[in-house]
Amino acid sequence: MTVARNLTPVAVRPAAATVAPASPDTIRFPHGLPGFESCRGFVLMTSDVLGPLQCLKSVEGPAASFLVIDPRRVLADFRCDLSEGDRARLGVDDQDTLLWLSLVTIELDGTITVNLRAPIVVNPALMVGHQVVPYHCVYPIRYVVSEGR
Amino acid sequence: MLVFTRKRGEAIMIGDGIRIEVLRVGREGVRLGVVAPPEIAVHRQEIYDQIREANQKAASSPQDLGEVAKRLRQRA
Repeated sequence: MTVARNLTPVAVRPAAATVAPASPDTIRFPHGLPGFESCRGFVLMTSDVLGPLQCLKSVEGPAASFLVIDPRRVLADFRCDLSEGDRARLGVDDQDTLLWLSLVTIELDGTITVNLRAPIVVNPALMVGHQVVPYHCVYPIRYVVSEGR
Repeated sequence: MLVFTRKRGEAIMIGDGIRIEVLRVGREGVRLGVVAPPEIAVHRQEIYDQIREANQKAASSPQDLGEVAKRLRQRA
């Protein structure tokens, strides 16, 4: 498993304990997501019909799927600094290689909101992901991109 | 729940690496300092609760995704 070799030993222990041989497309989330702590593996699905949205679907643990979008498609100057801990968890030195995904919510009245406060960050080199909650962040959890009816 | 009485400058240890110190006690609240290893995420609980709730809402997003995608494309 390349994930185990490239991450710091402390950061990888929870992942290593739960790793089952998975498809190379599986992105490992060693801590799951808040509210979905036991979802430890996801795949990212794209289609022409869905674009610019993508679907992040749980393939380990309870079934869960999320619509996601690149936060920069929502806010062109979106910027977020990763903490030292987030970098350690993702096993990165260089932010440029990362994939950023914000969760999209369609509310009951059809309003579309995007969570810019706590983006999901994926390190494609290690196929490991983490939902980050930056300490200082000017963006809202519920950023409205399209009003409902 | 474990309950401790602590004065300013006193701390509690959790495991080997997590230390929580009382920095100041005032009328408006208690100021705490937390020292934890980088792999331990530390947040105000209300922030974490809000994110968890938002995630749960996002997971139950229903209906015609093609239509939703179209609205987002039109916006761009």
